[in-house]
Amino acid sequence: MSSRWADAAEDAEEDARRKAEKEGKRRLKAEKQRKAEEAQRAAAAEPQLNGHARSGEDTDRPAKRRRLSQDEAQDEPIADEPERQLLRFQPPPWQPCRSISRFDLLNHIEEGSYGFVSRAREVATGEVVAVKKLKLDPARDAGFPVTALREIQCLYAAKSHRHIVDLREVVCGEGESPGDTYLVMEFLEHDLKTLQEEMEEPFLPSEIKTLLLQLGSAVAFLHDHWILHRDLKTSNILLNNRGEIKLADFGMARFVGDPPPANLTQLVVTLWYRAPELLLGTKEYDGSIDVWSIGCIFGELLTKQPLLQGKNEVEQLSKIFELCGIPTEDSWPGFKRLRNARSLRLPPASNASQGSIIRSKFSTLTNAGAGLLNSLLSLNPTGRPTAQGILDHAYFREDPRPKPTAMFPTFPSKAGQEKRRRHASPNAPARGAAPGLQGEVDFSSIFKGREEEEKGGGFALRLV
Amino acid sequence: MAPIITEPSHLVNPLASIAQLETSASQIDGVPRDLEASIRYETGRLNQAAGILLRLPQEIIAQSIVILQRFWTGPDGASMLKHDSKDVAAAALYLTAKPSGHCLTPRQLLTVFAFLDSLDGNYAEAASSKGTPTSQWSLSENDYEAQRERLYANEALILRTLGFQAHVALPYSLCINYLQTLDAFAGPDGSSLAKRAFAHLNSALLSPQRLYLTHQPCALVTASIYLAAREVGSCLPEVEWWEVFDVEREELGFLVVALRSMEGFAEEERRAWGRSRVPMTVGELRVAIADAHGWTAGE
Repeated sequence: MSSRWADAAEDAEEDARRKAEKEGKRRLKAEKQRKAEEAQRAAAAEPQLNGHARSGEDTDRPAKRRRLSQDEAQDEPIADEPERQLLRFQPPPWQPCRSISRFDLLNHIEEGSYGFVSRAREVATGEVVAVKKLKLDPARDAGFPVTALREIQCLYAAKSHRHIVDLREVVCGEGESPGDTYLVMEFLEHDLKTLQEEMEEPFLPSEIKTLLLQLGSAVAFLHDHWILHRDLKTSNILLNNRGEIKLADFGMARFVGDPPPANLTQLVVTLWYRAPELLLGTKEYDGSIDVWSIGCIFGELLTKQPLLQGKNEVEQLSKIFELCGIPTEDSWPGFKRLRNARSLRLPPASNASQGSIIRSKFSTLTNAGAGLLNSLLSLNPTGRPTAQGILDHAYFREDPRPKPTAMFPTFPSKAGQEKRRRHASPNAPARGAAPGLQGEVDFSSIFKGREEEEKGGGFALRLV
Repeated sequence: MAPIITEPSHLVNPLASIAQLETSASQIDGVPRDLEASIRYETGRLNQAAGILLRLPQEIIAQSIVILQRFWTGPDGASMLKHDSKDVAAAALYLTAKPSGHCLTPRQLLTVFAFLDSLDGNYAEAASSKGTPTSQWSLSENDYEAQRERLYANEALILRTLGFQAHVALPYSLCINYLQTLDAFAGPDGSSLAKRAFAHLNSALLSPQRLYLTHQPCALVTASIYLAAREVGSCLPEVEWWEVFDVEREELGFLVVALRSMEGFAEEERRAWGRSRVPMTVGELRVAIADAHGWTAGE
């Protein structure tokens, strides 16, 4: 017959098998119940019996089994007709954009290529929010900018995560400019970039762990929901006065599938946080580019300085190779076939001094910490952990433990009152043709003098 | 209590509220209900044909049709007497294709819509391989620029009207998943069953009952599989298998009837409009409403 659900000889067999299976399950259940009762009766005396029963088939206890079948008869009516619970879906309906007039604009926070961010107060509730007015230019962007569309889509999709900034609603202008579009988001006092510039000392190791765990959980959530952020950097990580970070600015983000779509643009991620495979011109990439950025952020949190500050693509790549070593066919199979790798001239392989210097550069870091940073900054994308994998790393389980967010220090807010200082860091790339690496690129001399450098500090005080 | 999921996701769509289904901006402006349904149906067909000609995947076409229906729905929705429905249809397709990997240029899109407009509703032929637009068919530069302006304006209008809720959860991959769960591909008619179920899901996009605005993808899929299995003659479990997919018998029954009525509705539309055009602009719609009034008055 035609389907698995048609009646046939095998079906009878299948039925019998299923019946037996059901029987078995029922028996197990009854046994469990019996064990619970027994455990109650004689909690102390029975540990070896429980241990035994857990192995499933306890063939050497026929007496117990026979008694079970009596219990089973009593259980039957309850076990067979459980109340059926169907999943219900009740998402809210849509409604037209409401008006910006429900908000009083307070002060300007910053301006980017995407728009202006201001602090605002909702008139009805008195609540303070951040309002981002989009810069719209239909002629330039071919209609509504695709970056804003993706940002709104991704933020709505990731709304429920506590470490992703909450997009409350999108409102529009009124009166003469009904086409103005504003994103209303929760307001956070700081961004990590500005905050670090103001701080005298870098974050403590325990604080860095908390920040990284929060960031890792946000990125893991995004990847789990098929979103790549594609512009992770400290200025896109907001921090409130309760030690909680929220990931913001999804202008570069997009939905992907598995396998990832071919022909993604490699012009993503702000240069200093851009993974080597992007610099080498790959068009197929996945969450590992976000993981590279997390590695850069980790390094930046440790030293209070952006880790790899290249002035252009070529310099960025050379800084990466200086820190992480030169890729080889062994460590990164196939990298030579990437578009921009053909013009690279790398120093001859098999030189011991060409490995990663992460261990010696971050001498105060524990072995586990250096191991994590090393894997995050693995040149080969497949060598990097997943965002979920970061959370399980041993580094977070060793002392000092991650600091509870409630114990975080508070800082005076830059965004609260005055204009945030213009960041010295470069912006995410604009859309358009990706410039290849220009001309012949010679990296053969980047390791000159490496031997003379100090190999790590001897002692350092560890702050906890 | 049964668990409740309240966030839109890849599985869940925002649904129209009762107030939104009761009336619409078009009806408030005086568009008769059946005429409104005809226009909705026609713009859906238009987008389906345009999407095929533009070689877009069905996911994007389906999203654009759902978005189009949301746009016309409810008193806060948009009125067909204020916006040219065929321009809005084009903008919906442009909007859904944009953030995907199948971005369209305005020129591609507008050329195809202008071509389809010249066909007086015979989209099916055009969308089949025979009637692709010939290379000498083009849009004049002036027309193009004016239409492009309208395209951008309508795109922003759709977004504002939907409160930027352009998210659409589609049933297609869920359908494959359910069929696999039912072990449907084990039998020889598995693929014909799947094709039939997909066909029902695609027709449901054009349903006058706006099924994608009133039912979640899981229910649509379950009903389409149920009906397809009846038609293909393949056997499904004799127990209430739809409950595994969180669909109640009552909802299943309603949807199966709705899916079965699609063919009759399409026939009826074809007969009603015959050789004449469904009004797809504000001007044409005004004339159609005036004609209808004149006819009833003259009777």
